[in-house]
Amino acid sequence: MNRRTLLGGLFAAASVPALAACSGGITSLEGQGSAGSGGGSSKDGITIGTANFTENQVLGYLYAAVLQEAGVKVTVRPNLGTREILIPALKGGDIDLLPEYQGALLHYVAPKATATEEGEMQNALTIALPSGLQVLPYGMAEDSDAFVVTRETARKYGLTSLADLRKQNGKLVIGAAPEVKKREVGVVGLKEVYGVEFKEFKSLDSSGPLVKGALKKGDVDVANLFTTDTDIQANDWVVLTDPKNLIPGQHVVPLIADRKADSTVRKALAELGNTLTTAQLTELNRQVDKDKKDPQDVADAYAKEHGLVK
Amino acid sequence: MYELFKNLGAWLVGGEQWAGPDGIAHRLAEHLQYSLLATLIATAIGLPLGLLIGHTGKGAFLAINLASFGRALPTVGLVVLVFLAGGLSMLPVYVALVALAVPAIVTNTYAGMTAVDPDVKDAARGQGMRGHQVLLQVELPLALPLIMTGLRLALIQVVATATIAAYVSFGGLGRYVFDGLAQRDLVQVLGGAVLVAVVAVALDLALSALQRFLFRHRTA
Repeated sequence: MNRRTLLGGLFAAASVPALAACSGGITSLEGQGSAGSGGGSSKDGITIGTANFTENQVLGYLYAAVLQEAGVKVTVRPNLGTREILIPALKGGDIDLLPEYQGALLHYVAPKATATEEGEMQNALTIALPSGLQVLPYGMAEDSDAFVVTRETARKYGLTSLADLRKQNGKLVIGAAPEVKKREVGVVGLKEVYGVEFKEFKSLDSSGPLVKGALKKGDVDVANLFTTDTDIQANDWVVLTDPKNLIPGQHVVPLIADRKADSTVRKALAELGNTLTTAQLTELNRQVDKDKKDPQDVADAYAKEHGLVK
Repeated sequence: MYELFKNLGAWLVGGEQWAGPDGIAHRLAEHLQYSLLATLIATAIGLPLGLLIGHTGKGAFLAINLASFGRALPTVGLVVLVFLAGGLSMLPVYVALVALAVPAIVTNTYAGMTAVDPDVKDAARGQGMRGHQVLLQVELPLALPLIMTGLRLALIQVVATATIAAYVSFGGLGRYVFDGLAQRDLVQVLGGAVLVAVVAVALDLALSALQRFLFRHRTA
């Protein structure tokens, strides 16, 4: 749900001029430090912005924790909104760094890009990003679309990957948000890439209580959820693998202004990226959403526990 | 804006939109089925209840307050609750729609019954009418205009709210609203909304015509 909220904001274009108009600082699309800034410096400190959902805030505070450890003065501005607000703010110099997702960011800067594999996407991003902005190496953690079945269904039909669904053509019912019916990463792509045809498409919600309830009760066989959804582990559901890369990777990737991207920052964030796994990120989300803990506390505790911060 | 309305017009009259299982004709039939069945069930519950408390004067406080409570229930919340408890079926939709319609029917029926002149009831009893005869031959006919108002009110609310069926994967005109929103297809959303409004107004006019026909001999 989280990443899609950010992506969903893409379409809320109508609200952008109004928002931009009331905060002069982010209206300028031409970043200050964009011209010919080969080597940046984080000496004057870094401002991290985050989007308006739990996971992105946790990531922002994780960035803050490791950067502080590396001796960088950090300010976090959580909950700033959607990509429409964050990226202009980044270019305008109000913020310097923000946790992003490969596939969704690529779709934002280059809607027609076709890359779905991580390396390709990283290259495509480097080419497509406006001058003044760059992505640092992506992390292991990923919050992508997933097609999920119960352990029981997986056993009954011998399902481990999306390709296996084809053997059960015309038998299985899929539950997902209404838009998935016409999406490439959905019914359309599953048919084109894997030759899968479902018995029925049930329009429910986006990784919410309806689709999860229906999967639990067996009203749908396959459900479209997100990989960092805590209920996948809790219910021992099976995420079907995607051998043909239908689903674009959504690895967490730091988006940073050139002016701040020095080696101190690169190293600190790469270390975090190589430590944080999808399962761990899911657990951190759970602590904030279900246990009602403070995102900053959760991030600090994680950084300490994994030796990222002493 | 002009473009939007032009597309809306094209959508509404386009032949391909009317045919097939996703077509307007089929969705319209589904919507009417959900609405009429829910209103019928609500009438079967609300009408006897309203008549009973109106006739006996007992339990009115409880019933009216329960009805107000029913009105305050968030419909989407109720649908999700019944869905999570009972699974994916039309049951959550009908429960929510009936819960929405019953209060309007009960309170209007009760109001109609209490508006009957006590002297008239006394006179009926004085003529030797029994309780049920007073109810069916005197109170009910006199209360009928307000009862009909309650039914019309309930039906309009139900027609407008039956879009909720699409929220839990079923059909009806709500399909266009929910799918259109999810797929950023504004024309579809607007088309669905316009159709719902037209159905609501048409049904209300039909009931109002029926009402006039039934009471054509009565002078105000």
